[in-house]
Amino acid sequence: MTDTLIPQLPEVRPGARAWLAMTVAEAKMVARDTGGLVIPLGMPLLILVMNGIAFDTDEVIPGTGGRTAFDLYVLPMTLTLVIATVGVINMPSFVAGYRRTGILRRLGVTPASPAMVLVAQAAVGIVQIALGIAIALTLALTTFDANPPAHLWAALGVLCLAVASMYAVGMLVAAVAPTPQSALALGLIAFFAMAAVGGMFGPRENLPDVLAEVGGVLPFGAAVDALGAAWAGQAVPGQTLVGMATATVAAGAGAALWFRWE
Amino acid sequence: MTGGTRARGGTAPSVVAMTAIRATNLHKEYRRRGRTTVAVDDVSLHVEVGEIVGLLGRNGAGKSTTVDLVSGLRAADDGTVRVLGHDPRVDRAKVRGVLGVQLQQPRLHDALTVRELVRLHRSFYPTGRDPDELVEAMGLADRRDTRFEKLSGGQMQRVSIAVALVGNPRVVILDELTTGLDPEARRGMLDLVRGLREDGTTVLLVSHHMDEVEKLCDRAIVLDAGRVIADNTPAGLVTDASLPADAGLEEAYLTLTGAAR
Repeated sequence: MTDTLIPQLPEVRPGARAWLAMTVAEAKMVARDTGGLVIPLGMPLLILVMNGIAFDTDEVIPGTGGRTAFDLYVLPMTLTLVIATVGVINMPSFVAGYRRTGILRRLGVTPASPAMVLVAQAAVGIVQIALGIAIALTLALTTFDANPPAHLWAALGVLCLAVASMYAVGMLVAAVAPTPQSALALGLIAFFAMAAVGGMFGPRENLPDVLAEVGGVLPFGAAVDALGAAWAGQAVPGQTLVGMATATVAAGAGAALWFRWE
Repeated sequence: MTGGTRARGGTAPSVVAMTAIRATNLHKEYRRRGRTTVAVDDVSLHVEVGEIVGLLGRNGAGKSTTVDLVSGLRAADDGTVRVLGHDPRVDRAKVRGVLGVQLQQPRLHDALTVRELVRLHRSFYPTGRDPDELVEAMGLADRRDTRFEKLSGGQMQRVSIAVALVGNPRVVILDELTTGLDPEARRGMLDLVRGLREDGTTVLLVSHHMDEVEKLCDRAIVLDAGRVIADNTPAGLVTDASLPADAGLEEAYLTLTGAAR
C-alpha cells in the first residue's frame, strides 16, 4: 500500500512576516541603487524647478478657479514624470535584472514565490512614487506658490490610474526584454515615445493631429490632461480615463502572456 | 509558529516514507533554434531518507537538469518525481517547506548583506535555524554586514549554502557544494554535510570531487550523456568498473565514463 507511506507534509506559504521581509529587502535594494533612486526623484524635480523659473506662475487661467499654467500643466507633467520614470524605466530594469541574475529562479526553490518579488517591487515603487509626488508638491506649493487641486479626490483617482497604467507598460517592457540593458533601453523608448506625444516637449497642439490624438490617450498624455482637469476643478475627460484603463488592461495582459521567470 | 510563514495541512508526518527522492524514467529535452538536445534520458534514481547520495558526471551529463527536475524548477517531458512522496510541481507548497536547494550558481539579491539575505530566506519558513548562528557556522561572521556583490566566489557559495539550510530542510540538494572554496572552507563544508547526516537529513550531493563523494556518500550515481550508467556504493563502483579493490573512486568514475586512458 504505497499511499500509506506518503507522509503528511504541511503546506508552507509565505506569511505576513515573509512579505514584509521581502518588501524591506526590495526597499533596501532600491535605496542602495543610487541611479535608480535619484533619477526618478531628481529628474522630475529638476524639470519642475526649471519650468517654475521659466513660467509666469502668477498668471491665472480664466475659468479654472484661480489656477495658473504652472498648476495646470507643469505640476501634472511633473507628477506624471515621477510615475513614468519609476514605472516604465526603473521597475522593468530591476525585474529584468532579477531574471537575468537568476534571483527569480533561486526563489523558485523556496516557499517564496518569485511573484513575491514583483509584488514587493511594485509596493516599493509605489512608495517611491508617493515620496516623489510629496516632494514635488511640497516644493511647488512652498516655492512656486502652486495651488492644490480643486478636485482632490479626482486627482488622487487619476494618480492611481496613472500608476496602474504606467506599471502595466513597465511590466510589458520587463516581460519582453531579455536583459536589464534592453529593459532600460525599451523602457526609455516607451517613456520618451509616450512623453513626446504626451506634451512633455511642448504643447500637443503643435503636433500633427494624429499624434496629438494618440498622445492624449496614451498613459503619459492622458495622465497630464486628467490631472490638469482635476486641478482646474473641471470634469476629467472620459477619453483620458478610458485611455489609461485600456493601457492597463492591454499592457497587463501582454505582460502576463509573455512574462518569463527565467 | 515562530517564523513569518503559515504552515497548514498537518504538523507531523503520520507515516515516514523511506524514500526521500524518487525519480522515475525522467526525460527532458531542450529545443533551441531548431536543434533538440536531450539533457536527461530515462533517468531513474532514488535517495532513501537519511542517505547521502552523490550525483556524478562530466559537464553536460545532465546533473543540473536532474537537479532542476527533482527540485521542481523545470517540468520533465516524461517521467515522475516524488520528494517525500509528493510531486514538487503539484504539491509546491508542501515540498518547498522540506526541501533546501543550493543551486550551482549563487544567485541572490546582490545589494543585500550576508545577514540580510539569510534573514530574508529564514522568513520564508515556519521554523528553521538561527540566521546569525548559521552565518557564523558558515565562517562568514566577519562578512555578515558585507553586501553579497562584494563577496568572493567562495563566500558567495557559502551564503548560497546558508540560505539552502536556513529553513532546516529534511531533504537537501547541494549542487557543487565546494566549488570555489579554499581548502579550509571546503573542509568546513564537508563537516557540515556530516552534521546533516547526524541530524538525519537526506542529501543529494552533485559533485566533481571524487574524494568528497568517497568520504561523504553512502552511494553515488553516475550520469553520462543524460543516462544513469552506474548506481552503487563508492566501493561497489570500483567493482562495477572491474578495478582492483584498492583503486579509488576517481579511477572507477573515469573508467565507467570512458574517460580513462
